[in-house]
Amino acid sequence: MRPKRILMAKTGLDGHWRGPTIVARALRDAGFEVIMIGMATTNEIVAAAVDEDVDLVGLNIGGHIDVALRAVDAVQSTCPDMPLFAGGTIPPHACKQLEAKGLEVFPPGSALTDIVASANRLTGLSSQQ
Amino acid sequence: MQAKGSGDTARACSDIPLKPYYTADDIPDGHAARVNQPPGEAPYHRGFHPSGYRSKPWRIFQLSGFGKPEDENERIKFLLKNGETGFIMEHDRNTADHCYNVDHPEVLARREDVGLTGAVMQSVRDTAICLDGLPMDTSFGHAGGAVVQHAPFALAAYWTVAKQRGYDLQRLAGTGQSDFNLTYLGCVTKQQIPTDAGLRFNADIIEFCTEHLPRWVPVSIAGYNGADTGLTPDQELGSLFANAVEYLDEIAKRDRISLEIAARGCAGVSFRASIKIFEEACKMRAARLMWSDLLRQRYGITDPRVANLRIHCVTAGSKMAYQQPMNNLVRGALMAVSAVLGGVQSLGVSGYDEALSIPSEHAHQMSVRIQQILMEETGLTDVTDPLGGSYYVETLTAQLVEKAWAFFEDIQSRGGYLACLDSGWLHAKAEENQHAEFMQTESGDAHIVGVTMAHDDCSPFEIDGFIGSDDAFDVALDRLKEVKRSRHERGAADALRRLEQVCRGTENIMPAMMDCLEREATLGEVGDVYREVFGDWRTPIQS
Repeated sequence: MRPKRILMAKTGLDGHWRGPTIVARALRDAGFEVIMIGMATTNEIVAAAVDEDVDLVGLNIGGHIDVALRAVDAVQSTCPDMPLFAGGTIPPHACKQLEAKGLEVFPPGSALTDIVASANRLTGLSSQQ
Repeated sequence: MQAKGSGDTARACSDIPLKPYYTADDIPDGHAARVNQPPGEAPYHRGFHPSGYRSKPWRIFQLSGFGKPEDENERIKFLLKNGETGFIMEHDRNTADHCYNVDHPEVLARREDVGLTGAVMQSVRDTAICLDGLPMDTSFGHAGGAVVQHAPFALAAYWTVAKQRGYDLQRLAGTGQSDFNLTYLGCVTKQQIPTDAGLRFNADIIEFCTEHLPRWVPVSIAGYNGADTGLTPDQELGSLFANAVEYLDEIAKRDRISLEIAARGCAGVSFRASIKIFEEACKMRAARLMWSDLLRQRYGITDPRVANLRIHCVTAGSKMAYQQPMNNLVRGALMAVSAVLGGVQSLGVSGYDEALSIPSEHAHQMSVRIQQILMEETGLTDVTDPLGGSYYVETLTAQLVEKAWAFFEDIQSRGGYLACLDSGWLHAKAEENQHAEFMQTESGDAHIVGVTMAHDDCSPFEIDGFIGSDDAFDVALDRLKEVKRSRHERGAADALRRLEQVCRGTENIMPAMMDCLEREATLGEVGDVYREVFGDWRTPIQS
């Protein structure tokens, strides 16, 4: 079986890479193939999700939640079965909006083990909780 | 890396083993001879002046800004009214860092993000609004321009407004930043000029200030941005001085201005003040000592006005937790204590809402109040270098100096600081440390209160993140159209053409940049010139 593939993208134009890099490393260590495209627009995220034939899309969010929600909507309308999760400096009100769209959300302070467990669940490697 | 706190395995973040207690015998011989040196004398580890904070309190200096220029102006006035003693102008990252106008496709795709991290300032008109009524002549202003390619524009905009208001640039005090650690290490901008062009910009700014703005700090290396990316305190020190010698060697190679004056222009730096109180205080002491030694040994400079390093500190944003955010008030205060014990001249305390958003008005006010309490109530300012002579502190200071020089030499042996950015070597160092730090909290070897332990919080989630204003994009777009409609179009076009010629040659870019701002050329147009002339930096990491 090929390794499950995860696309990781930043929705904003702020290039702080510390958070997503740590997460990507944990996911790779757990056996996932991670494709990082860095700062990307909604269109670029959707195109990469399709072209790279990924099993899960991870969004690093550091800006306004509406920008991230637009990317979520676009991915979900193009790839209706694609699971997404998100992390970053996401305030509580924004976490709720993402969760309402079915995303698992990991604000600062989240444990890497929880993020890896979520990736396993969302790609069907472990049973849903 | 976190220091472990228990048993005989304790280590400083700089990977220095810590003993349970220290005696006079622990202080290395070379350093012991310097312990009794009074503050204000070389090598300055004991402080910038014998009377320290009694004669000169540190500057209360907070990062500030969001939304429209008038929103930022209002917040800066609020901070000054509450006791801030200088002011910092933050620019919108989407536009400023990339030198884009708001109508650039990359910005249009994220229009709601515009103004979230600073005010949008695309022309000198915007900067004038942001500075309306601010005490440019009597206070100490930070013009922004943290990202290297943005700095010439941000500085020229500030200085043009000062000239319009009739201030004499020769007397204007303030600071730029142009930080390589931010631009090429910590926050890798999507589209930016290569490092060699960045070095040229910074040397140009240093030269320009020497002639026209002698009281201005032209560039300010931010160890902070290396540290909060993952560099340990010894690495933060070593890389900062490796960065400084790139500037000074470039100035020496050009041989247009006195190296001593240039060195003074590089002697205003910033560090991160993190949560390990003694190691951070030692870091500030080590920094002053290293700068003094570096100037004497490498360049033969001993003038105290140059060799006495001036330090601004910001408390570590990455140490501010998302969970139980009120705990961050305590963290902010303790990190500020480490900076004050280290004798810094300027300080910003990150907001208690740092992990959620830019600071709310209340978070900002509390950052000022923390500093006021330390300054007015605690007695921390009574005696200069109160830790001086402590067996532990003197030993750790000397050990940090030794490790930092080793890191400096490691960088030199790899072709220097710029080469280590271009190759990604420094990024890899930072990433290793980040990973190790996370693994220590994951394994339970290091704890964060409210995050990895003590989860029960009896108050509700108190804050929900500050958003700012919702019309920053719309107003910026209107103003961009207006400035292009009403400026003297040929004048602006001529200025931009002249800037392009200068960029292609070797003369100083700043006079041409001043002309661009006076003629109301816009940020995105200047960015287009850069992209045409310099192309893009080949990013060694993928964020």
